Amino acid sequence: MNATACYFVNWMEPENTAIARGLRRHDPDLLDRLIEQYQHRLLRYLIYLTSSRETAEDLFQETWLRVLERGGQYDGKHAFNTWLFAVARNLAIDLMRRKKPESLDAPRGEDEAPLDIPDSAQPSALDVVAQRELSERVMAGLAGIPADYRETIVLRFHEGLSLEEIAAVTGAPVGTVKSRLYRGLNALIPRLKGAQG
Amino acid sequence: MNHDPHQQAQEMIACRSDGLSQAQQAWLEAHLATCDRCREYANAAEELVRALRSVPITAGAELVRTTQARARAHALKLQQQRERMWLIWISCAVVTLSTALTTPLLWQGFAWLGAWIRVPDAIWQTGFVLFWIAPALATSVLLAASGTFLGSRNGAPQG
Repeated sequence: MNATACYFVNWMEPENTAIARGLRRHDPDLLDRLIEQYQHRLLRYLIYLTSSRETAEDLFQETWLRVLERGGQYDGKHAFNTWLFAVARNLAIDLMRRKKPESLDAPRGEDEAPLDIPDSAQPSALDVVAQRELSERVMAGLAGIPADYRETIVLRFHEGLSLEEIAAVTGAPVGTVKSRLYRGLNALIPRLKGAQG
Repeated sequence: MNHDPHQQAQEMIACRSDGLSQAQQAWLEAHLATCDRCREYANAAEELVRALRSVPITAGAELVRTTQARARAHALKLQQQRERMWLIWISCAVVTLSTALTTPLLWQGFAWLGAWIRVPDAIWQTGFVLFWIAPALATSVLLAASGTFLGSRNGAPQG
């Protein structure tokens, strides 16, 4: 671990310890702050994971209730977001198993509905169109690749998690995470290029 | 071990330098300076990351408010449950301790009383057991009820 990373981990530790302590006490103010802080990241992850904004919003609420109930299990030694994503992931897997017996790791079928495109609320018409097209391309590209590749790509490139953190969230070895990133990119790049052409 | 330098470079690009040593980083840069194919791959990966980060997914204010309200109500409920459990644990500890301290003395007292009023051993021993259990039961019930009472006084807000 380099010096910057060491400094970052040392700086993060008291914050994580405070979160762990607050969760053990079921501190409602801490929960308010955490929900505010992680709202967009958690919802984004859940949307990519479940391919549905409606399901993601339900899971978003369930995740925070689960965080409260299982708060005692968070030790504060690791980044809170890693634990949060792992809780959300487990809930999403449970839900998907209830809905259909396929696992999250099963590749997404080509005939399934595309990922929900979020509403764009930009005021400039030109920007809206350009942004919307780009979003549609990215979402369509992501929808066409296997779920485990999609999840790894989102955690790495969108949420900025390290390989070790992704391994902790997904329960896969770091080598598998690397391989999923490589294969996921290889699957995604041609799709985006094809859509552009 | 991967011996194809292009695949090796592309795997490093896919990890976006995470976990790369300085030597590996230097090797990757040198390779990209000479390899058009891998440079193109790096540019495409960079463009993909930019595009991915530009997708505007945000949580609505209503969702956040609802979640915070639900979480707050749930947190208060869990706090009350914990308080109640503490009262029960404390009451159990007090009862156990007092029982352990007073049982030998009471046994001797009941034995003396049984001998004084001349009743069979089984009678005074039954009386001892009843006398021994009744306060513990009464205390536990009262303290548990007291915990419930405290819980209902600090009731969680509705909605």
